[in-house]
Amino acid sequence: MENRLVTIFHGPQHPGITGNMSVELDLLGETIHRARTHVGYLHRGFEKLIERRTVIQAFTIVCRICVPEPDPNEENFARAVEGLAGIEISERAQYIRVMVQEMSRLAAQLLWMGGQSGSIGLETVGQWSLYDRDLILDLFEQLTGGRVYHMYTYPGGVRRDLPEGFLRRLGELLDHLEKQLPRYDRTFFDNATLRKRAIGVGVIDPDEALANGYVGQALRGCGIRRDLRRDNPYLVYDRLEFDIPVFDGGDVYSRALVRRGEMRESIRILRQVIAQMPAEGAIMQKLPKHRKFTLPRDDIYVATESARGEFGYYMAGDGSEYIRRMQVKGPSLIHGFTLLESLLVGEELSNVALIMNSLGICPPEIER
Amino acid sequence: MSEYEQSGFVPYDPQAEQQSLEAETEGIRNTQTLIEKAIRWFHARSMFVVAYGTGCGAIEMPPVFTSRYDIERLGVVGVATPRQADILIVSGYASLKTLRRIIRTYEQMSEPKYVIALGSCTINGGMYWDSYNTIKRLEDYIGVDMYVAGCMPRPEAIIEGFVKLQAAIRDNTLRPGYVRYRENLAGYKANQTKVLGERIAPEYEENYAGMELS
Amino acid sequence: MTYLYEQYDVQEKHPRLFAIRTEASTLIETLQEVTTHTEFVTLAQIACTDWIEEERFELTYLLTDRARSRNLMVKVPLPRTGGSLPSLAFRFPQAEVMERDLHEMYGIVFEGNTTLYDFVLEGWHDIPPMRREFDTLAYVREHYDFQRGRTDGKDVKVEQKRRREEAKKRKAEAQQQAQTPEGAPHGE
Repeated sequence: MENRLVTIFHGPQHPGITGNMSVELDLLGETIHRARTHVGYLHRGFEKLIERRTVIQAFTIVCRICVPEPDPNEENFARAVEGLAGIEISERAQYIRVMVQEMSRLAAQLLWMGGQSGSIGLETVGQWSLYDRDLILDLFEQLTGGRVYHMYTYPGGVRRDLPEGFLRRLGELLDHLEKQLPRYDRTFFDNATLRKRAIGVGVIDPDEALANGYVGQALRGCGIRRDLRRDNPYLVYDRLEFDIPVFDGGDVYSRALVRRGEMRESIRILRQVIAQMPAEGAIMQKLPKHRKFTLPRDDIYVATESARGEFGYYMAGDGSEYIRRMQVKGPSLIHGFTLLESLLVGEELSNVALIMNSLGICPPEIER
Repeated sequence: MSEYEQSGFVPYDPQAEQQSLEAETEGIRNTQTLIEKAIRWFHARSMFVVAYGTGCGAIEMPPVFTSRYDIERLGVVGVATPRQADILIVSGYASLKTLRRIIRTYEQMSEPKYVIALGSCTINGGMYWDSYNTIKRLEDYIGVDMYVAGCMPRPEAIIEGFVKLQAAIRDNTLRPGYVRYRENLAGYKANQTKVLGERIAPEYEENYAGMELS
Repeated sequence: MTYLYEQYDVQEKHPRLFAIRTEASTLIETLQEVTTHTEFVTLAQIACTDWIEEERFELTYLLTDRARSRNLMVKVPLPRTGGSLPSLAFRFPQAEVMERDLHEMYGIVFEGNTTLYDFVLEGWHDIPPMRREFDTLAYVREHYDFQRGRTDGKDVKVEQKRRREEAKKRKAEAQQQAQTPEGAPHGE
């Protein structure tokens, strides 16, 4: 009996994928011979839509570019417009923005934990982590009015001030999350099934990782310590103390441990923000009226460290009130194509969802 | 109205639909036998949702299905394949590429089947109203049973949508989308062909010209 | 960094963002030199802006240094029709998918890239959509029909224009009537 090459589509309608994308697999038995990624199921033509919009009109759709984690998009958009137009924001607004970014990072890591554990069949952790994430979304709702899409970070600052008692409630939530983290350790990170399935799977070669443009946990999981908050700091990250967790294995388990460390660091940063938040400061700078808010003929590149890696925006203005060009470069563009197609060769079919979840591939930001 | 006819769309007329629905269900509601009522009660309390997150709204599906909002107490469970499913949730906008897969998934499900459309993008295009790649009204392409408004809808709103659908199934006040789809199949296929081209099913093999197939 | 300043005309846009310009014919040499002799070793993004008024595309190759701390933009102008660039896929594997994206959205040909087939669009028969002559609203008006919900079937802009003109006419008539009884010029 001979083995023949069978081609199947892993997705787009599949319970084991991250978002709406598909991987076309050529299988020899259960082993993958070749993988091709297909995206485009979520293409809305964002960059074309934004060319027809002024700054305030574009601001409403920018957060929907990456569905699981919208806040780095708003931050990038705000900083790109501020960089082009030469706007400086107050210190209080910077601290509030750092707080929003770290809360969003925590929520995204909890969502990742639900996805990663679901991919190996450990469904309990997903129920717990999505509940904890919902508590963070409750705080977001008090702050911005929306659970997932906030539309809060605007060029010039943030749109409204903190409600009364918000910092105290945030502190209580951080206490609750710190009590939950040992439970996740016992159930997920020290789980024998996860260790058996994840150690040695999806190993990234550290020698080519930097040159190929990998970002985020793909680097920190194979021993390379890079984080934009320390290397190319923005907002007030140069005044906050935090470590960058790094592990050496290069496999799925190392990346999971990196995310576990990052959750602890986010809680640490949030506690410093609560302690150091200035009591006074302008929430929003005075901006021209929206038809007169013109961007000079110049271009800029800004990047934010999202929960999955470096998220970059290239923005160009042309002297009018319309945005000439905004090109989005999310961490999943390289991870979903160059990295995934080479990692999957030789793996088994059951590990595809595991590897895709560990890289944190988010299709909406690949295809905008 | 002539330009609408010329455009090739077969319009869905809500007023005529409402009248015919009221005429149909006028006597039915009170004359269901006990067996029929029991079947409808069981039918409404076991809805299997096919696991397909088609758009933005899919980010509020995990909270609905997990412990905080817990829709499983209403009998709603997620399943892996369309063959086992009763409900297709179109969670938000549908790009053209996804529309092909939605149609294929919908046609693979066995009747009775229902479609719940989340978000404003399924009603009139939402905030991607001027995008060249998303459809503007889902009702033109498949038969929709319940709309849940929002961008995107909160988990409580999604649960309320399910509850209303269950009540409508139980009380037999619903003229399901699959009946409309079956009866007006030519119209729906004409609408689908207008945006998707002659071939509605996903192109699996002939697509990537020039690609080396090993 | 000193090598960069000696060989090229470097513009410092922001504390950690620099820009140099080059031509399409010398692109590969420039990138090879920069990535070999300076610390900018990674390709992070290939961005493209359509300057339709000046009949050119401007591509920006964004390079990052090894410490991921500073960025260098390498700007290349390209004619809007008939222009082509050599592909960077031999040096940076991530360039393959970025060039595929730009080819689909702008129609730029990258010679040497064998993966220039569909990326996000399926069965697209029109011009590459990100080019500025492609009018997305006109395309939507022609292919989709989303204003059918209005019971009067009217276009909002037509109605607004009609109301504006009626308001102007009423204002002009009111001014005329205010002038004639007094018989004297207004506002002096």
